[in-house]
Amino acid sequence: MSLLASFARRLVIALARTVGSKIVDAETGRVLGRAFLIPWRGKIAVIGLDAEVKPLFLPQKRLTYWKQELGFAVHAPPDFPHEVRPQHPPDPPAP
Amino acid sequence: MKSVLNILLTHQPPEAVAAMVDRWKTCMPAESILLAYGGSRADFGAIAHPAKVFIDDPRLRTHDHQREHQSYGGVFRAVAEWMKDRDHSHVHFAEYDHLPLVSDLNQRQLALLHSERADVLGLHLRHVGDTNCAHYLYHAADPEFFPFWESLTCRSDPRVILSMLPTGSFWTREAFDTVAACPEPHPMYVEIFLPTAAHHLGFRIRDYGTQNRFARNVGDWFPHLDEARTAGAWSVHPVKGEWDRLPTPSPS
Repeated sequence: MSLLASFARRLVIALARTVGSKIVDAETGRVLGRAFLIPWRGKIAVIGLDAEVKPLFLPQKRLTYWKQELGFAVHAPPDFPHEVRPQHPPDPPAP
Repeated sequence: MKSVLNILLTHQPPEAVAAMVDRWKTCMPAESILLAYGGSRADFGAIAHPAKVFIDDPRLRTHDHQREHQSYGGVFRAVAEWMKDRDHSHVHFAEYDHLPLVSDLNQRQLALLHSERADVLGLHLRHVGDTNCAHYLYHAADPEFFPFWESLTCRSDPRVILSMLPTGSFWTREAFDTVAACPEPHPMYVEIFLPTAAHHLGFRIRDYGTQNRFARNVGDWFPHLDEARTAGAWSVHPVKGEWDRLPTPSPS
């Protein structure tokens, strides 16, 4: 990557983390950071977010057919129990 | 009596390796240290430490580790083979730029593993499945990725994908040997593969908690060792540069 492109990328990321949309955990209300959210060809580009989030449509207290909201949340820390494996070896992946 | 094997993965010149081993020997018995060497054959022969294995795996020797999906599979397999006739109950894995700061590091790891009722401890352990984690998304584009976990898992949800820093990870012997024997039919990045394989093979994997702040993927702890020790660090990562520039070992 050229120096100019690298500088431009850093500048955009810094801007996104300063003046971008505030990203809030939809489940806990915790602020996760800021990012630019840009609709593009039927998708949403998330630029500059310094957090690992999963997207989810948010529950609605009022039934509306014309608007739904997409929010973000983070996974709970991994806390899975030990599970006893079956004794046979795993099947190979399907070709 | 629990016996911990400390694996040090390195590719550095023999002099740097000797300095690194000297440092680690202040925190654990020399006979508990196994060098996993990913450098040249000639340098491997010149390393004085008796317990060493040469890692002859091109998937370890990547340049752009994330995009080339660097694997520690060859390291784990070589170490598992080396341990075959030995009775180590636990395995601690560290990269060459990981520095121990306490003399009872293994005892602390054993105590945490016990209190968490875990089989594996990992630094910065998190669930990245269905998130914007760049490593996860890069793997998710691979059509073989999810079918592999579906074929392997004993869990109800094959879409759980975990990530951790491999350095500093602490394993029961059973978990280590089982993951070492796990097939890796297509390249998967080590930070994703190791914890996810352990999880889907039924092992309980937990985070180091407060120790996470002393492990990063970039930077250099060298100027801040006393500060880290005072703040309660058991070890720090990364320490970049020459091992022989480190001050005289004085672990607490």
